[in-house]
Amino acid sequence: MARITIDPITRIEGHLRIDAVVEGGEVQKAWASCSMWRGIETILRGRDPREAWLFTQRFCGVCTTVHAMASVRAVEDALGMEIPPNAQYIRNLILIAHALHDHIVHFYHLSALDWVDVTTIPQADPAKASAVAESLSEWPGNSRPEMTRVQNKVAGVLTSGQLGIFANGYWGHPAMKLSPEVNLLALAHYLQALDFQRKANQVVGILGGKTPHIQNLAVGGVMNAINLDSLAALNMDRLYMIKDLLDEVVLFVQQVYFPDACAIAGFYAEWFDIGAGVQNYLAVPDLPLNPASTTFDLPGGTIFDGNLDGVRRISGARDEYFRKGVVEDVTHAWYEGRGSQHPWKGETDPDYTDFQDEAKYSWVKAPRFDGKPMQVGPLSNVLVAYALQHELTRQWTDRALARVSAIAPHPITIDKLQSTMGRYLARAIRAAVLADLALRHWELLANNITTGDARSFQAPEFPKDAVEGVGVHEAPRGTLSHWVVAQDGVLSNYQAVVPTTWNASPRDEYDVPGPYEASLLKNPVANPEKPLEILRTVHSFDPCMACACHTLDVEGRTIATVQVL
Amino acid sequence: MIPATEAVAPIAVIGLGNVLLGDDGFGPFVVELLRARWKFPATVALVDAGTPGLDLVTHLDGREVAILVDTVAATGAAGELRRYRGEELRRMPPKPRVSPHDPAVQEALGITELAGRGPREVLLLGVIPESRELGAGMTHSVRAAAAVAAALVVRELASYGAAPLLRPEPGDPDAWWRRERYRGTSGP
Repeated sequence: MARITIDPITRIEGHLRIDAVVEGGEVQKAWASCSMWRGIETILRGRDPREAWLFTQRFCGVCTTVHAMASVRAVEDALGMEIPPNAQYIRNLILIAHALHDHIVHFYHLSALDWVDVTTIPQADPAKASAVAESLSEWPGNSRPEMTRVQNKVAGVLTSGQLGIFANGYWGHPAMKLSPEVNLLALAHYLQALDFQRKANQVVGILGGKTPHIQNLAVGGVMNAINLDSLAALNMDRLYMIKDLLDEVVLFVQQVYFPDACAIAGFYAEWFDIGAGVQNYLAVPDLPLNPASTTFDLPGGTIFDGNLDGVRRISGARDEYFRKGVVEDVTHAWYEGRGSQHPWKGETDPDYTDFQDEAKYSWVKAPRFDGKPMQVGPLSNVLVAYALQHELTRQWTDRALARVSAIAPHPITIDKLQSTMGRYLARAIRAAVLADLALRHWELLANNITTGDARSFQAPEFPKDAVEGVGVHEAPRGTLSHWVVAQDGVLSNYQAVVPTTWNASPRDEYDVPGPYEASLLKNPVANPEKPLEILRTVHSFDPCMACACHTLDVEGRTIATVQVL
Repeated sequence: MIPATEAVAPIAVIGLGNVLLGDDGFGPFVVELLRARWKFPATVALVDAGTPGLDLVTHLDGREVAILVDTVAATGAAGELRRYRGEELRRMPPKPRVSPHDPAVQEALGITELAGRGPREVLLLGVIPESRELGAGMTHSVRAAAAVAAALVVRELASYGAAPLLRPEPGDPDAWWRRERYRGTSGP
């Protein structure tokens, strides 16, 4: 029996730590612990609600935009405000472009090397790699010369003695199964993906004024000046610039990322039987279509115990089912007390103990919905939308399952998405859906501006009495909610329930584990010294500690430690 | 409105860190200090990149020179500055990342280099932090190092023929996160 502790940078905040007890080649028990924002309200209490978003978008350096958006939505909800159609469409385009950027980076740059063994690339036959790639898609970047070029580049790095980005991989691990040719084509796309994640980010920059940390938001709309006749404003030229960038990103997502994710899922089909974990799912509706934010392009809802037929719709942020359903439990978190509280009543009084397996062991509170732990993220999003008969989601999901089944040794059905590989595949499905919606929301914006509507902002008015609001966003990593209480134009409470707190949640009052912890049970571990399989399942959630600080460790400390019990 | 010029400027000074976590805001603060005191040629982009994780790639892509200002976990007294050249950074192997947040400087440099688009020259200026408490602001020792770091950045830029001009009437750094009051918006 061994206990594995994966802790990238010990003693520094802002990181995720995973502990797993392994016996007989499988994980028997797991703990997820991380440091998360504690006490954001200490910064925001007493401030003007109109500037909260400037601070919240610094929670997290990777998901800046999503925290800005949830914050303005929360304040608008507290005021019962409507915002102009242009503001909705501009925000939606920013959110979609950000999500596409994020999903591309997750698949290629953050997690591909968990599945792709680059050290086999020198043995690949570039002609065969090109043929495999061309059988998957019409993408023009799959030529034989391109594959040869990438192969030479990788071979150069491998023989140079300085492995650079390849220095930290678990190469030659028995769980690595792709052919050298598939590894080569995946790495070729890894390099090409750099261009397209940047183009997606440029859309955020053009509409948001700057990226990271967009500047164009306001409680009441957006600050973009819209004038088709002006060089300085959002005009036809800029709209077409955005369209050109989106067209390129859409093509990459649908012709490269989506087919690659399906192919890799097919080759690793055994991972559809691993890592289901918590089978309760939560997603909120997003991409609002009207000023009151009551109709949406993407649906939200809940699913319990993996039963898609029992899906229950969440109609919007004002739905009492959602507003009353969320609580946060501090029994196993480093805060005073036990049990749970609603976010509007939430308190954050630190009570740090050491890491105690059976008591408190994480800075993350345990969010619960109707008392249950919930999984959030693209998988929840896809399952809820599929169950609610969302047409676009059904099309792309059925396409994905057909592609995977053509490669896998046995057919992969919708139920199998509830797994480690299902989370990777669902992210690609969601990206393909969002790609279609990017073009739709560009058209909505362009058509609305063309009718002569240039409004983008409505000034907010704050009442003397206390008001409460919630802003929701179905972010790349799942359901995000910001909960505000304001009185006479001043914030009196602010809580953010971020996607990773749902997924990385510790145990609750009743000792029920959170999604990471549950998904690691029975996860295979061939070699405790190289816990690649644990990283695969953890990475499938796309973890994001919404509180990162950025201290570079220049003295090199241990990462994974194994203790024989 | 479009940050296109920023994307192509061959030299970038990139501040890294979280402005809400005390001394971790050192990098962005130095960037604001530089902006307030000097006027920069069009070849130099000043970027407050926050805590971008692997998204740092976006800021390195296509540059010739990258000067990173950050905090470092090194042995020494708080407020001490350390300099690392690209070659030294490359020798520090990246670690397995659990979250996209883990500082990914070496990895981002490695990826841009592999793609043949990384900066030819890299300098990382790091300060040893004292406190990274939420909302506490920078400690005296680290705040004092900001002016020194800014001067070192300026000297480094001069070595590439891109020295900025000292402003005759320097302003205060626009560190909005330290402001007490909201300045307000009146609409687009």
